[in-house]
Amino acid sequence: MISFKNVNKWFGDLHVLKDINLEVAQGEVVVVCGPSGSGKSTLIRCINRLEPIQKGELVVDNMNVHDKKINMTKIRAEIGFVFQSFNLYPHMTALENVTIAPLKVRKIPKKEAEKIGRETLIRVGLGERIKSHPAQLSGGQQQRVAIARGLCMRPKIMLFDEPTSALDPEMINEVLDVMRDLAKGGMTMMVVTHEMGFAREVANRVVFMDDGKIIEVAPPNDFFTNPQTDRGKFFLSSILKH
Amino acid sequence: MWGFYFTELLHSLPFFLKGLWMTVAVSGLSLIAGTVIGFVCGILRASGNKILRYIIGAWVDLIRGTPFLVQIFIIFFILPSAGIELEAFPAAVIALTNLAASFICEIVAGGILAVPSGQREAATASGLSPYQQLRYIILPQAMRTILPPLVGQYVLLVKDSSVVSAIGVVDITRVGWLTVQRIPEGIMVFGLVGILYFVICYPLINLSNFLERRMAVVGTRL
Repeated sequence: MISFKNVNKWFGDLHVLKDINLEVAQGEVVVVCGPSGSGKSTLIRCINRLEPIQKGELVVDNMNVHDKKINMTKIRAEIGFVFQSFNLYPHMTALENVTIAPLKVRKIPKKEAEKIGRETLIRVGLGERIKSHPAQLSGGQQQRVAIARGLCMRPKIMLFDEPTSALDPEMINEVLDVMRDLAKGGMTMMVVTHEMGFAREVANRVVFMDDGKIIEVAPPNDFFTNPQTDRGKFFLSSILKH
Repeated sequence: MWGFYFTELLHSLPFFLKGLWMTVAVSGLSLIAGTVIGFVCGILRASGNKILRYIIGAWVDLIRGTPFLVQIFIIFFILPSAGIELEAFPAAVIALTNLAASFICEIVAGGILAVPSGQREAATASGLSPYQQLRYIILPQAMRTILPPLVGQYVLLVKDSSVVSAIGVVDITRVGWLTVQRIPEGIMVFGLVGILYFVICYPLINLSNFLERRMAVVGTRL
């Protein structure tokens, strides 16, 4: 589904992704973790070309994402992206936020788009807040609308860039619940997160990154109980202190 | 004497009203055209294109950095030597449109750039095209930042329009100059000139204040 082959990326002179090779199969849930500045957010932002790459090949659903001639609208329609800071459209209601892309990108008729929107908002537990604006919602509710916004496009892949890092602790679970549900339903997911409990429960594999490189890839239980690398051991020891 | 001049001034009112209409016509046409051109230039200026940004920026700096009187003289007196003859009214509208567009361009570009980059990223990630992003996501949000200073700019431009009297357009200011030659009571004549400008500007000032208060309320909600 997602295939990184020798992917390299620079921000000016700064080499932020170094020789990334990774395959994510359909239906897999991959958690990406690592210290700050390791390149994990940059990695997933390359998947829908929010960031360009300078070397290597990134193939998503059999389409070469960084080919200049490719139709990015088509690729992006198949990828839902959830941001750390939600990025909901403040001048639109929850329903309008989730239906704008189906209406304008997939060109679905308004009644059908609104039906899908309503059902998806109910699915994430926000059936009562369809007409609310983002300013009237809590952080957890806003993030759930953001997830619904991605889901309404019926994507093949959902990408999450630290979806709970900007939330108050008591709101984290409501968002993780939605993500757990998605994972159990067979969605292909890549999640950059520090929520190790979530990773242990739901991920098929954990990708540990440091300094722009993939250091370890392992099933969560293997990684958390017996990391193979010194850097992996050091990272786990520092986060599990909390 | 004062009473006599006052009576003469009252008899001149139709002349002043013609001047008022001329000011409204010059300002109105220029503001409409200037708003359209200003919005287009502002959108282009805020786009990623470096060349466009530079060219439009140079034009804005030139217009904002030179006196409007000089600009209108160039259009009316100097262009004919290059073969472009213009009557006073069209020259005035062109010059004031140019002035309006340059200021409005900066207000619009500033409003667009003030929209958080996360909005553009979310819209891009959803597959919306650059045009759809501008129309549905960016501009509606930018309008909240643009509208109050835009209306404030309209007030400034109505006042700037008094400069067109220098090339013979018979606006409120020119009527004042012509009248004061017959009725040599400067305070009375130009007092009336001031009142007439105020009649046009005051509703606009109120509108700008109202919009600023309304946008601030919305802003805190955001």
